[in-house]
Amino acid sequence: MPNMELQLGLALPTPNMIKGFDLNNHRLDHLKQRGCFSNKSKRSFEQAFGNFKQDGKTKTLLLWSGQPNEEEDHKDQKKTTFSTIDDSNDDEEVEQVVGWPPIKTWRKKIFNQPNGVGGIENNRVADKENGRSIYVKVKMEGVAITRKVDIRLYLSYQTLSNSLITMFSKDKKCGDDDSTRYILTYQDKEGDWLIAGDIPWQSFMRCVQRLKIIRNRD
Amino acid sequence: MHKKMAFSFPDEVLEHVFSFIQSDKDRNSVSMVCKSWYEIERYCRRKVFVGNCYAVSPRMVIRRFPEFRSIELKGKPHFADFNLVPDGWGGYVFPWIAEMAGALPWLEEIKLKRMVVTDESLELIAKSFKNFKVLVLSSCEGFSTDGLAAIAATCKNLKELDLRDCEGDDLGWHWLSYFPDTYTSLVSLNISCLGSDEVSFSALERLVGRCTNLRTLRLNRAVPLDKIANILRHAPQLVEFGTGSYTADLRPDIYSDLAGAFSSCKELKSLSGFWDVVPAYLPAIYPVCSKLTSLNLSYATLQSSDLIKLVSHCPNLQRLLVLDYIEDSGLEALASICNDLQELRVFPSDPFGVEPNVSLTEQGLVAVSSGCPKLQSVLYFCRQMSNEALVTIAKNRPNFTRFRLCIIEPTTADYLTLEPLDVGFGAIVQYCKDLQRLSLSGLLTDRVFEYIGTYAKKLEMLSIAFAGDGDLGLHHVLSGCESLRKLEIRDCPFGDKALLANAEKLETMRSLWMSSCAVSFGACKLLGQKMPRLNVEVIDERGPPDSRPESCPVDKLYIYRTLVGPRFDMPPFVWTMEDDPSLQQLSRANLM
Repeated sequence: MPNMELQLGLALPTPNMIKGFDLNNHRLDHLKQRGCFSNKSKRSFEQAFGNFKQDGKTKTLLLWSGQPNEEEDHKDQKKTTFSTIDDSNDDEEVEQVVGWPPIKTWRKKIFNQPNGVGGIENNRVADKENGRSIYVKVKMEGVAITRKVDIRLYLSYQTLSNSLITMFSKDKKCGDDDSTRYILTYQDKEGDWLIAGDIPWQSFMRCVQRLKIIRNRD
Repeated sequence: MHKKMAFSFPDEVLEHVFSFIQSDKDRNSVSMVCKSWYEIERYCRRKVFVGNCYAVSPRMVIRRFPEFRSIELKGKPHFADFNLVPDGWGGYVFPWIAEMAGALPWLEEIKLKRMVVTDESLELIAKSFKNFKVLVLSSCEGFSTDGLAAIAATCKNLKELDLRDCEGDDLGWHWLSYFPDTYTSLVSLNISCLGSDEVSFSALERLVGRCTNLRTLRLNRAVPLDKIANILRHAPQLVEFGTGSYTADLRPDIYSDLAGAFSSCKELKSLSGFWDVVPAYLPAIYPVCSKLTSLNLSYATLQSSDLIKLVSHCPNLQRLLVLDYIEDSGLEALASICNDLQELRVFPSDPFGVEPNVSLTEQGLVAVSSGCPKLQSVLYFCRQMSNEALVTIAKNRPNFTRFRLCIIEPTTADYLTLEPLDVGFGAIVQYCKDLQRLSLSGLLTDRVFEYIGTYAKKLEMLSIAFAGDGDLGLHHVLSGCESLRKLEIRDCPFGDKALLANAEKLETMRSLWMSSCAVSFGACKLLGQKMPRLNVEVIDERGPPDSRPESCPVDKLYIYRTLVGPRFDMPPFVWTMEDDPSLQQLSRANLM
């Protein structure tokens, strides 16, 4: 196992919030109508649906696309292109097709607290002011399994990143070289993805919904 | 003087004999033996089951069975559970209540599924039936606490009030205090769907305390853990119990209180609830676990190790509902511990996540099929499957009666061979000769339908999604499945030919649902014209189907047999295919 050093780059203090990925509420409307995706092991849309397929042979999940801004990548909107689901390494939770998977509506709500605080599926267990655990999902780009950490166990960004490094070092793909840099990003209550480190730790603990470790695309 | 056959019995004797025949199917058979049996049977039928409220009218039912005490009605098609049926589609119970109110003052039981139940309906029930005992609303909507208050306040003999899976605009609790202080007959109460407004623990505790026959109590999430002990102490005779939110600060006094309360419940057989569960509080239920036959952990976000620990205390489990946090390892443990397991449902904890978040694969299902000889009903959500596993499962467990497999990503192939899963599901229908219900998923060609048509002779309900190549697939099913009653299809390339070729089959079934398929408006019209005993309803929110070419596929299609022609309560986005176009104008005019 190569000796890999992961360094989680924390944000440079800037006056503007740095927006990473805005992945919420993408509605794949055109897919909803026909509801099929492309996959290397699946049939193409023509085969599946004969004469009423929509234009184009391949479906993209793309709703918008853009290029990362090379000059000021830490300030401007970072955008990413998606092709099909299997090419994407992101685990964003998108409701892709109406009524699929076939789960009753109220079951989907199970993970949401009635008073609005997210459950595990929104990646936090309800937190009361009494020191109980707050589990947050952590996803690392390129790693299949998502992990969970109890944010309350950490005192600072540093201790958190140290722990994440340990946790994920065994998951790292061998292909990356030793000096691959990673950025720790998090999703806040509004659903925005931000780079971790901007706000005081206490505030961060209160608003973090999810964590994601992404490769620093310098 | 009138002749009696030498071997005929007086009516009263036959009635007495018939009273032992409860099942609907058997009753129907009895009524077909001869005219006199038909007559006798209809007067003594006490329970009526109407699988589709639009197949028959309330007046017809009352005319044939003038003395029934219990009615079960179903409204919307099953796919309404998954938001495929737009709001306002129909399924109103009020016309039924209105007819029964006058004609059946001794009605005792009303059980409804997927129907719209207004407060007006509930108030009418409360007012009209003096001996009303049982109200079960399953996946119903349209009522508020006002309607429930009317029931609580008026129905002195109410024994059962079950609101399973209902959605209201955050139904509150205040109606519970409308049960009079003199009311003590409650046997079963399921309020698990209530919201968190106006929670009134004291009303609940008093109610539970004075209803000493209470056997079933399913609370909702708003009831905190520290209230449970008190409630259980008031009702140690409970057989079925659903907790509320199973979380609290870790305090020894709460724990010992809870454990003590559970220990005093010697009759408990079924547990559910467990929202927000904290593992540290689970051992409080260990005293009752050995007697548990049913456990619903489908809201419990427990990790595999905690689930295994819990399940290992429940060797007599017959029914388990759980999230996929249980993982393959947990299912393997389940297979070795719970040899009496009959029903298993594994729900996805992250249904919309693209990548797996748990280690649950086909292996878990294989393990359970191997280790649980009585397993007959399965609902399983997973992300990968292989033909090999399905064949193994089928051979292990030929006694399956319900097999519902949902591979989360549509059209997923066998992950080992990248082939369609036709052979695997083919094995299921071939080996499981008593299979009554089947749900398919994964990559499937017409071949799987050929297997189904050939082997699935006892199949009554089939659910298909994102499968098949063309009309031949549907044709296999419609022509081969002799016992088919309900067929629901979405996103499949099935078109006009198979449907039109098997039109008569549709009269032998309760209903057919097809959405996002390739059935043209023209074919729907033709079917509607040729088959007067079918209602062919097109659901299309894009606008009138005749504003598009006839060859254009309809969005959604619901076809059901009926004795009473098209319904009159259709919303603007539903069209019935009629024989005579002017008749359709007439139906619409009635709505104005």
